[in-house]
Amino acid sequence: MPKCTINGQEVVVKDGATIIEAIHHNNQKIAHYCWHPGLSVAGVCRLCMVEIEGNPRLQIACNTVVSEGMKINNTSEKVKDAAKWGLDFHLINHPLDCPICDQAGECGLQDQYMEFGKYDPEMAERKVKKKKVVDLGPTVVLDTERCILCSRCVRFTDEVSKTNELGIFNRGDRSEIGTFDGKELDNKYSLNTVDICPVGALTSKDFRFRQRVWYLKDAQSICTGCSTGCNVKVYFNKEGLFRVKPVFNEKVNGYWMCDEGRDIYKFVNKNARLLKGKKKKPTGFEEFFPGALAKDISSLVTADPGKVAFVVTGQFTNEEYDQVFSLWTKKWGSKNIFHWLNSPEKQNEFDGLLLRGDRNPNTQGLLKRLKDFGISTQWKDLITKINTHEIDTVVVAGPENPIWFPDFKEKLASLAKAKSLIWMQSSNHPEFENVPAGTYLIPLKSFVEKEGTFTNYSGLDQKFSKVTTIVSEALTLTEACTLLAGENLMIRPDPNVLIAAHPTADRVTLEHRKKNEFVFRRGAL
Amino acid sequence: MFQLSNEGLTKVKKELQRYESKDSAIIPALYVAQKENKGWISPDVIHHLSQVMDIAESKITEVFSFYTMFNKKPVGKYHVQVCCTLSCALNGARELADHLCHELKVRAEEMTEDGRFTISKVECLGSCGTAPMMQVNDRYYENLTPESAMNILRGLK
Ligand code: SF4
Ligand code: SF4
Ligand code: FES
Ligand code: FES
Repeated sequence: MPKCTINGQEVVVKDGATIIEAIHHNNQKIAHYCWHPGLSVAGVCRLCMVEIEGNPRLQIACNTVVSEGMKINNTSEKVKDAAKWGLDFHLINHPLDCPICDQAGECGLQDQYMEFGKYDPEMAERKVKKKKVVDLGPTVVLDTERCILCSRCVRFTDEVSKTNELGIFNRGDRSEIGTFDGKELDNKYSLNTVDICPVGALTSKDFRFRQRVWYLKDAQSICTGCSTGCNVKVYFNKEGLFRVKPVFNEKVNGYWMCDEGRDIYKFVNKNARLLKGKKKKPTGFEEFFPGALAKDISSLVTADPGKVAFVVTGQFTNEEYDQVFSLWTKKWGSKNIFHWLNSPEKQNEFDGLLLRGDRNPNTQGLLKRLKDFGISTQWKDLITKINTHEIDTVVVAGPENPIWFPDFKEKLASLAKAKSLIWMQSSNHPEFENVPAGTYLIPLKSFVEKEGTFTNYSGLDQKFSKVTTIVSEALTLTEACTLLAGENLMIRPDPNVLIAAHPTADRVTLEHRKKNEFVFRRGAL
Repeated sequence: MFQLSNEGLTKVKKELQRYESKDSAIIPALYVAQKENKGWISPDVIHHLSQVMDIAESKITEVFSFYTMFNKKPVGKYHVQVCCTLSCALNGARELADHLCHELKVRAEEMTEDGRFTISKVECLGSCGTAPMMQVNDRYYENLTPESAMNILRGLK
């Protein structure tokens, strides 16, 4: 455990730690492009120069191991000068097309230039032109001119995804990123290359040109794409959610997330959602504020709770399960709770990196609570009981993303055989058009609109907070079950009205929620 | 589909054994393959080498595209490389190369219509004392004049 001084401050570092790691640990800033904590060291950008006492020349911090008593300085004039010139060389052939570049606002070149820029470039030569808008594959677009050849993306496909699509071809100022013989950059983790590209050379097809990044806010959350539960940041504004990026968590996802997980924002946005409570009439749907349906629905459930079945997916929070199960088992003395597990045969699949076959964020939390509440029901019993009219009302807490529920249509059809069906779900589904008359649809909140805890595949509890409101009339599962219980559901500042345990975020009026709802308008903020 | 001959395969396998890191064998392997593929490296060749050597195609392409000695497009039966670096340039190498191109009615780096010649201008070939010089496939010809060079080419079958 060598001891060193960084800018006059004493720091003890791990054996074998490099200077850049020491500086990061000490929460100090250092300019760098090619170094990434999740990748091997390349030492090619030369921006991380530091002064080491007794050493006449500057050294790169990312590839120099700290030794006992080292005195390191990265704030001296000499260091700043090195960064300034390093940056200027990076910009020799850079097109400087920030106004049309999607990275503008979160670009490493812009950021460093604000700090170390030379502001009077001496480059009089013509720039080398290279290919722009190269279609690299299904997810990523490449601009070879903007690339600063840090090789992060190459090391990612080499070391992390192990798919080896990318390489640096040619030599000198003709060097450029490319793929062998026009092959596609196509792997399940390809969009991480966009995250780690410090400049606008690699951009995401899904996100590019949809928003300027300075019009987005971000907040931390948990990916609901599978039972791994990668830690993520969602980026949003009043128009909706726009993208999802990974957040480092050593225990869960490291620095990365999968491409499919990045799509979770799509089923949270308003255009994919159930916006209103609805009742199917022979002539079509009638819309209500869910609270207005309270009497009708609760009479279906409370008349004879023994004949009601509750179907639940692994998509809700532990808090919701706890409250809803206790309502069912304690208040109504019913154990008719059935677990709808999508693709059971894929449950234990794992791609070796992050993505798991269980496409639910909280199967573990659900299983544990089913056990705690002494519920051990079989799906096939539910079907039998429906057919024999032992069950005549089915209440479903459906999936947030029906795409990952290939059996959705089939399940809906078999549950619709019950006398009455109450379907609670956050997203809309084309199959809802075919439900029998009398069916109720109740809009639920998505994971960004509530707080709670998910238990991931390994049993790790991960708390997440509310990010924003998208559908103002949507309810949490707890709120929806309050409706079922026949209690008055009103959204007002009195927390006792809701039985939700975590209503902090919702102690506001419906008016307030409506005002803060997303508006889907282009260009408006 | 390009395939190394048995002999070539043995050579590549031997190179693979020779270095600490497999990647170091890429240059010799490309050299062997280029010889067997009429003097140039096609995507086919890289694909085949990648399978033989168990190294990603992109990695081989990185090396291949870095060096000018690996040809990226087909070359004539005789690849004529005229050195145009200092000593040779001072002794009229560029004029010599232009003369050859003119006589063969072909531009530098392109192949004659009959597929017999490609004329390239290259950097120093290490024979500066006998400038100007050219290399035709594996052979050096030194102390040239435009005429003598052309005569040499005419003499090739
Ligand atoms: S494309 Fe981006 S990540 Fe890849 S080498 Fe260039 S600058 Fe680095
Ligand atoms: S691995 Fe699973 S939790 Fe992680 S990003 Fe992908 S879908 Fe989401
Ligand atoms: S970060 Fe050290 S050389 Fe690039
Ligand atoms: S300069 Fe021509 S061989 Fe050296």
